[in-house]
Amino acid sequence: MSSPASSLEQKQRVLEKFARIEAYHELQNLMGRTIVAINFRQPERVLEAFALDAPDVSFEYADEGRFVGAEAVRALVDQLIGAPAQPGEMRDYQLTTPIIEVAADGRSARGVWWMPGAGAIHEGEGDPAAIWDWATIAVDFTRAGEEWKILRLHWFRFITCHYEKGWVEDTSLINRPNTPMHPLSRPTTYHNPYSPLSIRDGIPAAPRPYDSADGSDWMLSRDKEA
Amino acid sequence: MLTIDDLAEFSADELDALEARLDRQIAVWEVSNLRGQAAIFHDDAHIGEPRRELQAVGHPSVDVDALTAFRMKPVVDSLEGNTLIHPLATPIIEVDEDARRARGVWWSFGVEALSKFRETPMAIISLGMVPGTHIKMDGEWRILAGAWQRTTKNEYHAGWVHSMEPTNTRPPLTPEQDRNFLGKFAYRKDAVRRAVPEPPRTDT
Repeated sequence: MSSPASSLEQKQRVLEKFARIEAYHELQNLMGRTIVAINFRQPERVLEAFALDAPDVSFEYADEGRFVGAEAVRALVDQLIGAPAQPGEMRDYQLTTPIIEVAADGRSARGVWWMPGAGAIHEGEGDPAAIWDWATIAVDFTRAGEEWKILRLHWFRFITCHYEKGWVEDTSLINRPNTPMHPLSRPTTYHNPYSPLSIRDGIPAAPRPYDSADGSDWMLSRDKEA
Repeated sequence: MLTIDDLAEFSADELDALEARLDRQIAVWEVSNLRGQAAIFHDDAHIGEPRRELQAVGHPSVDVDALTAFRMKPVVDSLEGNTLIHPLATPIIEVDEDARRARGVWWSFGVEALSKFRETPMAIISLGMVPGTHIKMDGEWRILAGAWQRTTKNEYHAGWVHSMEPTNTRPPLTPEQDRNFLGKFAYRKDAVRRAVPEPPRTDT
């Protein structure tokens, strides 16, 4: 027969476990909705997912740089998907391999997804070009009231290549095109897409259980023993 | 939102049963995380770096010496241009009543690039499955058994009907050895596909 004190303790523990399971499900849905909104060119829905009230909200995209603050995040989303969709255009990213950790205090979370992607883009006259466009997504989440929001998203590009050539023959990612950076972007923290000349890293790292948000740069950790 | 008042009428047995169900759901999550970490470690080309153990090395059924020897074998001259990434999709995970053991199967659409002797890499489409058993040891889930099961490993342009690359080993495997290793249930254009692995059932 359990004592009233142990029963209360168990009830609190059960509530915490419920909250963690719900968080896991909510985070998966949040990221699913966000990627679908990117696929469908719905910038406002993408922005709804971000904690735009937080001064350190950020979105780092491949080698386009790190966009910090609401104005910069809006600018990047507008640059990526703000233009109207064109006939024949397609982007089809799919989230897989979820690795998610909710902080012990339940106020923040970290997640990584591997994201195969296929697409069709216009490069001039004629038919659109079929492409592969794969990435890994790493995210810091924050609990804003009753909702989860993206505080920091880093889009680690893995493959972008023409379908016909494949990732070995299409070497267009070896050098960044000589185009100016967006004026609101800050220097890229990590960019290492596949090329025949690259050596792979296990980055972003898998998040590990943690107590509370501490600002650590877990995404770029090379400590495989942690 | 559920509050402690909602649990007021639960008897001790009912509360135990509820917590056990929750623990099984959390186990599904933790096993998913474990396999995701294993996939990242697998993709990481820095072979031989010290890393946190994900296998159930304390379990008597795990041959640690063989595992270590397999990990330390060099299979390419240079890591440059090599990659393999096997995303985990279609998870089917069953956890036992005590949330101590779990079986799972994932399907994967993978891509690779292979350069054995610093030649121009070969782009490869690598479909397959990850069947596995898992066990909780010292509060943490570990992989007890189960690794990659190949469906295709084809040169990108040739396609999976006309190309099947063997697993890269030194010395290289003969086709017969390869078919008895990771290629045992791989696609063959002259064979009916076998239903292997079957997804785990609820009576796992």
